[in-house]
Amino acid sequence: MKTSVRDQGIVRIVSVEGDIDLGNSGDLRKILFDALRDSGKLALNLGAIRYIDSSGIATLIEVLRESKRVNKDLVLFAMSPAVRDVFKLTHVIKIFQVYETEEQALGGAA
Amino acid sequence: MEALHPLMARCLSGASDLFSSRGMKVQAMGARQGLNGHFQIAWVIPSDPTFLPIVRATLEQLCTVLGWSESEAKLITLALEEALTNVIRHAYCNRADGVIELLCEKSDGKLQFVLSDSGTAPDPARICARQDDSMEAGGMGTHIIRGVMDTVDYQSIPSGNRLVMTKRIRQIP
Repeated sequence: MKTSVRDQGIVRIVSVEGDIDLGNSGDLRKILFDALRDSGKLALNLGAIRYIDSSGIATLIEVLRESKRVNKDLVLFAMSPAVRDVFKLTHVIKIFQVYETEEQALGGAA
Repeated sequence: MEALHPLMARCLSGASDLFSSRGMKVQAMGARQGLNGHFQIAWVIPSDPTFLPIVRATLEQLCTVLGWSESEAKLITLALEEALTNVIRHAYCNRADGVIELLCEKSDGKLQFVLSDSGTAPDPARICARQDDSMEAGGMGTHIIRGVMDTVDYQSIPSGNRLVMTKRIRQIP
């Protein structure tokens, strides 16, 4: 798994690439909690995720709960087919704000 | 005995090399193939999540060879990996020195996975699907397993626990 981070205004955009599983979901959790703490809004680019398991989904749910606790927006965009399949299977797609493009995600988060 | 499908032989050979390079014990990788395309693969792997990507790569290729689409192969692999993850997390409490036996068998139009471990027995209360749209993360692995596999059977055996899962192989017209 690789991640890259950039800022656009108060929005921190984190792009995640590769496979997310039990072996690295803890690392992702720390990266996303840090990014959420240091920004006004958090946008996750999930377009380059090849594989995600329930520990990865659980991590995203934890970040979502934390975002609600601190009253900040969390938005997801460019979801890869692999991620979308698992989101649908686990019925979590409705609890997240999901957008097709970064432009829509940042607009929706504004 | 029939010759292995060339693609299957290649993916198993590659996996065998990767397993061996990480000190994993591999048993009968691709060594048992009978009539009508029946085959059996048995692995003994440690309860260490760093090995999950190798299992994932092998199973994805295997499912693709058996005719499932890339998307279907990913979901079947995900379900198996969720079962492995549950064993690592719950049966072995995240210890990496446990032993997991994985038997994958194709016969009679189905693929069967048998997972055995000698860890703590699963709590029946945890073996339940999660609620739709829930903000709770628990039970997601079990939900995925039941959503993807056709049959799921948790068994208690003298040496520990066994999980038997089957998936019907789609007939290609």
